[in-house]
Amino acid sequence: MKVTYTSYTAVAEWKWDLPAEADDTCGICRVQFEGTCAKCKYPGEDCPIIIGACTHCFHMHCISDWIASEASQGKCPMCRQVFKEKIANAPASPQVRTPEARVTRAQAAGSAGATG
Amino acid sequence: MAGMSSKRLQKELSKIQGTLPPGITLVSAPDLREWTMDISIIDNPIYPPHETYRMRFSFSPSYPIEAPEVVFVACTSPERKIPLHPHIYSNGIICLDLLDSQGWSPVHNVESVCISIQSMLAGNSKAERPPGDAEFVRSNRQRPRDINFLYHDPKRAFAGGIVF
Repeated sequence: MKVTYTSYTAVAEWKWDLPAEADDTCGICRVQFEGTCAKCKYPGEDCPIIIGACTHCFHMHCISDWIASEASQGKCPMCRQVFKEKIANAPASPQVRTPEARVTRAQAAGSAGATG
Repeated sequence: MAGMSSKRLQKELSKIQGTLPPGITLVSAPDLREWTMDISIIDNPIYPPHETYRMRFSFSPSYPIEAPEVVFVACTSPERKIPLHPHIYSNGIICLDLLDSQGWSPVHNVESVCISIQSMLAGNSKAERPPGDAEFVRSNRQRPRDINFLYHDPKRAFAGGIVF
């Protein structure tokens, strides 16, 4: 039997590149990292994730609201160590504000049309 | 910020409408600003198991960055008393650092606060009010969050005392 594709739709999936032991949910807003913080509409690079030196992760907007509040004393909401961003291994372009929270885009599934 | 509190409270509400630990019940949550919870204590003769205590949670639009205001409330039907505890004033104000800006963290939630207060009661051995209760209840006009509590416990587990 010979099949000929006339068209195809590629589907891509993305995930945050988070430490293996990290939770999948932001402890502040309780939304999964693959979703946005409470203030944003679209997930992804506009609503990035910050990884702390303590390995706790939060939406950047959530943790910055907390750190900006006087009550935080600059501490991680989970472990109460002073919250510092983990320094990324990869060099980042200066425009990128969250170098370690990169989106890894999966290869588009299904390449060219095939016959078989 | 308004979006933050309502979205998060909505999530908490759907969770606690499902399951809650033993002795903790949701009484009412008519909106996303004020909820009432009931707790009962097992295994402490100071708080007989048939007695239930009612707490009122009030949330500001910046919850959970800001702690909720949590107080015990007394009512007659059903009967709810203010539990006797050296860190709970007879007007229902609770002196607990978790509820103050010094001890609050946005990873806490309504359920975890209820559990903390429940265990604070369960572990209590003194059936008494905080020192200066009568004077505090007579003179205090401040909201709980504005009271300058002084926490004695170096580990800041529980608290006691007020700076006037």
